[in-house]
Amino acid sequence: MNENEIQLKVQALVDGELTGREAEELQQRINNDATLQQLHERLTQMRGLIANSELPRPLPESGDFYWNKIAESIEREERAGERIAKPTPANRWLLRWLAPLAGVSTVVLLLTLQQPTAPDLGITLSSDHELELSSDEIDVMTYNSDDDSMSIVWLDYSMDIQKDYMELWLD
Amino acid sequence: MGLLLFGGGGGLALVQADSITVNARLVLGTGKEKQGSKKVSDSIRKRLAKVFKWMHYHQLSSKKLTIDDSKTVTSKLSKNASIKVTNQKNGKVSVSLFSGGKMLLQKTQALRSGHYMVLAGKSTGDSAWFIVLSKSN
Repeated sequence: MNENEIQLKVQALVDGELTGREAEELQQRINNDATLQQLHERLTQMRGLIANSELPRPLPESGDFYWNKIAESIEREERAGERIAKPTPANRWLLRWLAPLAGVSTVVLLLTLQQPTAPDLGITLSSDHELELSSDEIDVMTYNSDDDSMSIVWLDYSMDIQKDYMELWLD
Repeated sequence: MGLLLFGGGGGLALVQADSITVNARLVLGTGKEKQGSKKVSDSIRKRLAKVFKWMHYHQLSSKKLTIDDSKTVTSKLSKNASIKVTNQKNGKVSVSLFSGGKMLLQKTQALRSGHYMVLAGKSTGDSAWFIVLSKSN
């Protein structure tokens, strides 16, 4: 046991933390060692000074009653928290119906905003035109210019018009 | 066909009242300019370029069709494409488009001077065909 450990043991003895044989053995060693005797006396005096200068702090109530009050206070706060968190039946109804409705409304709004719109070509469809298609397989788009000076029928029908035109003259 | 005689300002004018003259143009729209080809008039080019992506419009052919009242005139614009134009009684013009002898569509509308009827579709590569019809003054 080194010197530091012996000093800590003496401190423990003064604080009453050593008992039985261990305390007796250390006491004998202190009795035979002048340095340890001095340390023991100094620590004992210091402990006495601290003990005398410490102000008593009595509890306002008895210990059990004091801790009961704290426990009751904690339980009261927990009950209050549960009351706030628990939705009322009306709130529950609103949450059950309004939350899905709000979700569906949001999706509908987004889909509406993302609907593909016709490109703004500065032309509008006019009803003063008749169009007859001989085949349902051909898709057409019809537009009229704003001033109605040009009507366009775009057919989903490919023709190699340049080659056909050249062949017309070669025939 | 009826003939009307107008007098005014000391002059006389003879007009064929019920016949019309329609210009039918076969046009090729391309992204690149084709050297040596005849371009369409500025009026037609501007109108088409405002709507379509192609910037260059080459006039392959132009035919002037004089059509009497309630009569139909057929014009072959290319080997496979032809049109039949009818001068209807109500002042409207009916245009039928044929490809390979099969009618694709028929469009009927009032066609006034300075106005255009356009039939169009995709052609080979990044190009398009246009049949532009207008009424002559």
